[in-house]
Amino acid sequence: MNDGEILAVQGLNVSYGESKVLFNAGLRVKPGQVVTCVGRNGAGKTTLLKTIAGFIKPTSGSIIFNGTNLVGLMSYDIARMGLKYIPQDKKVFSDLTVRENFELGSYATKDYNWDQVTDHFPKLKSLMDRKAGYLSGGERQMLIIGRAILGAPRVLLIDEPTEGLAPSIVAHLRSAFKELSKKSALVIVEQNLPLVCAISDKIYALKEGHIVAEFADRDSIQARVCEQYL
Amino acid sequence: MKNALRWWWDIFLAFSLLALLRVVSPLPFAIEIIIFSIYTMGCNFLLGRVGFISFGQPAYLAVGAYGTAFYLYYFGQNPYIGILLGILSGVAVTALIGPFFVRLRSDYFALVNLALAVIVYYLMEKVLANITHGDNGLWFLTNMSSTPVLDLTRPKEFFIFAFLVAMAIWAFYKYLDDSVFGACCLATKINEDKLKFLGYSNFDIRYLAFIIANTTTALAGSLYAVYLGFVSPEITSPARCADPVVVTILGGVGTLYGPIVGAIAYTGMKDLISGFIANWELFIGLLLVFIMLAGEKGIWSTLGPFLQKALSRRGILPRVQDEGGKGR
Repeated sequence: MNDGEILAVQGLNVSYGESKVLFNAGLRVKPGQVVTCVGRNGAGKTTLLKTIAGFIKPTSGSIIFNGTNLVGLMSYDIARMGLKYIPQDKKVFSDLTVRENFELGSYATKDYNWDQVTDHFPKLKSLMDRKAGYLSGGERQMLIIGRAILGAPRVLLIDEPTEGLAPSIVAHLRSAFKELSKKSALVIVEQNLPLVCAISDKIYALKEGHIVAEFADRDSIQARVCEQYL
Repeated sequence: MKNALRWWWDIFLAFSLLALLRVVSPLPFAIEIIIFSIYTMGCNFLLGRVGFISFGQPAYLAVGAYGTAFYLYYFGQNPYIGILLGILSGVAVTALIGPFFVRLRSDYFALVNLALAVIVYYLMEKVLANITHGDNGLWFLTNMSSTPVLDLTRPKEFFIFAFLVAMAIWAFYKYLDDSVFGACCLATKINEDKLKFLGYSNFDIRYLAFIIANTTTALAGSLYAVYLGFVSPEITSPARCADPVVVTILGGVGTLYGPIVGAIAYTGMKDLISGFIANWELFIGLLLVFIMLAGEKGIWSTLGPFLQKALSRRGILPRVQDEGGKGR
């Protein structure tokens, strides 16, 4: 792990039973960076994020976060250490209100400063007493991201955050990600190339479980270059 | 302000339901319902909040009852100490077996608990017959000494004590429902993976909920023991394993009033119908099926919203938002 890196994944191999889905994958993230993983469906992007977050045990490899190897740790311990995973499905605790959803996030992290969330997503202020099951897709995504940023995580792993959302919400999330990256490093799996190119400091392209390309400077990050991996 | 009003309204309603019992029904019936309500509150919390269906509640009832009975039969006379020991027995047993049980999926959890009830039944009936006196049970009604303030050997004062305990337990569960822990329990039922994303251990939450719920059941067992002055293995009979689950579903799963309403309906039906019909179990079974089909959410979940709307319309209660209210 090089100096200044908050997350370093090296030689990661993951299998689902007999079927191997990640081959020697690796990525490096510095504080404040926005790192994006692109690739076709089935390329192994979600598996990579889930493995880093501790939901899938790798067969080999290391995941060094803030100097600690995460392999073998429980997912909730990893979350407590400040590495949070935001899944793709936008499922919330539907029977709980928005406020209760935030309380869950706050209690775990002892961070009750909800202003940091409502600063990013002001709309949530007026929805506090609504059950999360009644929120729109965009509002749910705001809630999930807002809940995750409580406790100032060092790294946020975000899986397909704009999938199925209206363009106006995507634009809002785009600026929110830029703001969030000032406090946390973001590792995002995303297929929306204009968004990817607008926010990314580094891009990893995955194909059939292999990391096949890495674009590490702003000049090389262009939609038409990334397009070939989708 | 609205929340405070709602809180007092909830307390008032629960208090009234139980107090009304004493006015309209004979004392033994009222006591039976109060203890049955406490018994069901634990099952309701497990099923409604954590998503665990348990057919082994009589086992925990027996743990509390025998914890109390052993003390009052062999060692002492003070029923308050007996109840305290019954509660401690509940805590000890659930803390011991909890780590193995709460790892199971809900269906296996139900079956393992059922097995536990059968094991406890045979332990009390056969294996530990030297201590438990087997089928004959332990009689200690005359062993118990009178106690100051509320004398638990006198049924009228026992009713007041059981009533206060029921109210305290009810308020405790209301507090839990409104707390972060209550939200965690519901969250682990809805989606356990999501809870891990936030840094919670599902095991810890379920374990604590398991101890709380089954200690409540053990407390009900202690109250039965003191009230009857007698405990036999019949208390954990496999034939009774479904009772608390049926009452929970009948009252309304996960609702705070469900256990009280369910206990009144179930015990009331049994008491009333068995007076007229010889094969009353069959009739009650059919009636339960009908009630479940007519209002599958249970009595309180079906009727409660109507009552709340009616009271809101009259200005007695603040209006409830469908989207934001908890509907309890």
